[in-house]
Amino acid sequence: MTAPAATAAQTASALARARRRSSVARFWRSYRTHRAGLFGLCALAVIALVALAAPLLAGSDVQSVTNAPGAALESPSAEFPLGTDQFGRSLLGLLVWGARISLTVGLMAAALSVAIGTLVGIVAGHFGGWFSTLIMRITDWFLVMPTLVLAIVLATVMSRSVWTVILAIGVTTWPTTARLVRAQTLAVESRPYIERATALGGGHGHIMTRHVLPNVMPLVLAQTTLGISYAILTEATLAFLGLGDPDVVSWGGMLQDAREAGAVSSGHWWYLAPPGIAIALVALAFTLCGRAVESVLNPKLGVSNR
Amino acid sequence: MDTTTVPRNARPSSRVRTLLAVGAVGATALALAAAAATPLNPAPRQVKAATAAADGKRTLTVAVSQSVDSLSPFLAQRLVSTTVHRLIYENLTNYDTKDNHAIPGLATKWEPSPDKLTWTYTIRENSRWSDGKQATAEDAAWTFNTMMKDEGAATANGSFVANFKKVTAPTPTRLVIELKKPQATMAALDVPILPRHEWEKVGDFSKFNNDKKFPVVGNGPFVLTDYKVDQYVKFRPNQKFWRGAPKFDELVLKYYKDGDAAVAALRKGEVSFAANLTPAQAASLAASRNIKVNDAPGRRFYALATNPGARSKDGKKFGDGHPALLNPKVRQALFAATDRRTIVDKVFQGHAVEGEGYIPPRFSAYHWKPTAGQKIAYDPEKAAALLDEAGYKKNSAGKRVGKDGRPLDFRILCHAIDPNDKAVGKYLQEWWGDLGIGLKVDCRDNVSDPWLAGEYDLAFDGWSVNPDPDFVLSIHTCAALPSTPKDTGATDNFICDKKFDELYAKQTTEYDAAKRAGLVKQMQSRLYDTGYMNVMAYPNALEAYRTDQIKAITTMPESGGNIWGQDGYWSWWSAVPADGGDTSGESGSSTGLVIGIGAAVVLAAALGAFVAMRRRSTAEDRE
Repeated sequence: MTAPAATAAQTASALARARRRSSVARFWRSYRTHRAGLFGLCALAVIALVALAAPLLAGSDVQSVTNAPGAALESPSAEFPLGTDQFGRSLLGLLVWGARISLTVGLMAAALSVAIGTLVGIVAGHFGGWFSTLIMRITDWFLVMPTLVLAIVLATVMSRSVWTVILAIGVTTWPTTARLVRAQTLAVESRPYIERATALGGGHGHIMTRHVLPNVMPLVLAQTTLGISYAILTEATLAFLGLGDPDVVSWGGMLQDAREAGAVSSGHWWYLAPPGIAIALVALAFTLCGRAVESVLNPKLGVSNR
Repeated sequence: MDTTTVPRNARPSSRVRTLLAVGAVGATALALAAAAATPLNPAPRQVKAATAAADGKRTLTVAVSQSVDSLSPFLAQRLVSTTVHRLIYENLTNYDTKDNHAIPGLATKWEPSPDKLTWTYTIRENSRWSDGKQATAEDAAWTFNTMMKDEGAATANGSFVANFKKVTAPTPTRLVIELKKPQATMAALDVPILPRHEWEKVGDFSKFNNDKKFPVVGNGPFVLTDYKVDQYVKFRPNQKFWRGAPKFDELVLKYYKDGDAAVAALRKGEVSFAANLTPAQAASLAASRNIKVNDAPGRRFYALATNPGARSKDGKKFGDGHPALLNPKVRQALFAATDRRTIVDKVFQGHAVEGEGYIPPRFSAYHWKPTAGQKIAYDPEKAAALLDEAGYKKNSAGKRVGKDGRPLDFRILCHAIDPNDKAVGKYLQEWWGDLGIGLKVDCRDNVSDPWLAGEYDLAFDGWSVNPDPDFVLSIHTCAALPSTPKDTGATDNFICDKKFDELYAKQTTEYDAAKRAGLVKQMQSRLYDTGYMNVMAYPNALEAYRTDQIKAITTMPESGGNIWGQDGYWSWWSAVPADGGDTSGESGSSTGLVIGIGAAVVLAAALGAFVAMRRRSTAEDRE
């Protein structure tokens, strides 16, 4: 009986691997059917590639003001396809570099926000009782706080850096995730196998990390993807309001620079339009992806939205 | 100092989130559409055109952005507030528009006693307060005495009366000022004379802001009729003004916190005048019909201030300035690695003059230039050598480190609302970075707090200089230091230099104009050598007005001078309205605007899609 047992053990891990593979494949098959989601994914891939290849595409000294190649506020030409800014730097180069900050801040802020939200949601859902009530009231309090105002206050009192912006966005946008995750946690924990796990001696930590977390992960994934576009918009807003890191180039910061140079009233549209459109495109791409992921993972949504 | 308010949405549901998303893109879109919508001030457009108003009232509207700090002349220090005071009150003397020499104001004549310690002013008989009462020497004596007695009343202009012994008014037309020591500024006392009968009732001068009762009683060319914080300041002309009534029927200082919005309003004819233009705005306005751009030598200097170790009069040191800056060689090296030529060419795009001495060249009598041997020219190699000499050698990582192991990493305080600060900061980072010096540009809305606390290494600094340089020199004397670390002194940058103080004392008591100018130049030379205040540029005044609303206006100096922030009321008092005609302004159809709006629409559409999908996709989650 020993040999079959060993085979069974092998088969068990192999089975798990195979199951994961097939569920990924199933996910991809289902995702592929969402045309908008595919479009978003392609757009993201292109933008991510551009951001990663920024030093190759635009050169590493594009941000330098002392070596700026052009004159101030040149209109688009063969040398500068999008014209130049007030320092004579190529706007196309800055736009390419700006993608890095927008994506970094968007991803990290959304990750931070979702991490906080997931932790709070699972803990509140798992323990329940007065503890849950207390945590959820705190969550409610954060929920009714105007996010942008809170983020502005945080970004004002802390030093000006990319991390400040990430933190400001992260700690102000988690309540929605927390509520969603708590609801899902309650749903998961009402299933019989959780009761079985408890009966077999599974502690709080075991149940939360081994049973609840994997089951809320799809929701968290969708929430993250959707949160990124919001984080990117907030980052651009904060930078536009002059609360970003002045040492790095970001799209919101470019809009702010354009405003300071008087580009709006002097009609230098090539300074304003590209960063604005870029922000809109990236936010749109993430939203499309997030929506597709959401409807794949939640069949109830999938039918009508395809 | 700017506050941003966003409408609150109190409903605790997931809609809050989407609404905020609207806010996020909305802000971006607003910027793009700013020119079109002037979103900051949705006030009615009753002042559309100066001459076209239905009732024939000719209004002169001036776009301003700086907030009024106080309407009490005892407290006001900002340019916009002192400009208002020039318009509604008279000083004893005024400045001539041609060469800045003292001319009669409230006083018609002034003469010193032979020992120069007693000055007698003859007060004019034809100046009346706007409530009909006669303005007399009694009012002037009360104003000065109040400033001498009450510390709260000496906040803004205390330096003028610090040396006064006694001020009396023997008759209604004679004012006598007795001095402790001779004082060179007696014909240039920039102190508004206030109506005693109105101001006697005021209790605490340090708290009274003169903004509750309108119209404000005054005797200047205009009468202040209304004021709303950060919205407008309104004036009507003083028909009985002794020099002649102003020609417009109303003067309005209207607030535009956004420069682009002000320029758009100027293009549409909603305002007649806008100042503080960017080079790009000036260039595009110069090409517009009916708009004249005035590019005049400014009265400001733009300097790099280094923290000389903040301290108070009682000898206590405070703040956290970098100790390396106490070494004159380091200060010189920093300035030697600052390319003033590039700053003028690139940041100001030629609308400035390269900085040398402390006082701008516009005041030619006092303007000073360093000698060839003294001049710290742009020379990065020399800067590197100076730093090596001072003991700050480059380490393996290319950073300069002192003997105490502390690297040369500086912070520079920058005004978040001033784009020039940020731009120069970018250049400094690169120039100094090549030398192995780190620089953190610390841009703040409110620089006063760290500045007064001495918590900075370097700072962007600038002052408007009066025709008489006494005030801008006094702010670098030891006497201007705060009494204790908790107090606020008149000091600009905590400079306290014995040699400079000696020269300051000498020039104050020097009545011979040529000799005094010589002393003032020596002071500038001393200041230059210490390296605490390094003037980088003298920015021009870039301003524009509508020629179809203002036919003529006096600049100061008369040939090629500026309009906003003059030493006197000349510009607005002299402004002549243009005769009727079409003042509808441009339709605002510039390509940039259209495309800007296009971009805003694209953004809004993307947002719409985002919100719609978000709402649909979360339909199940919503309560």
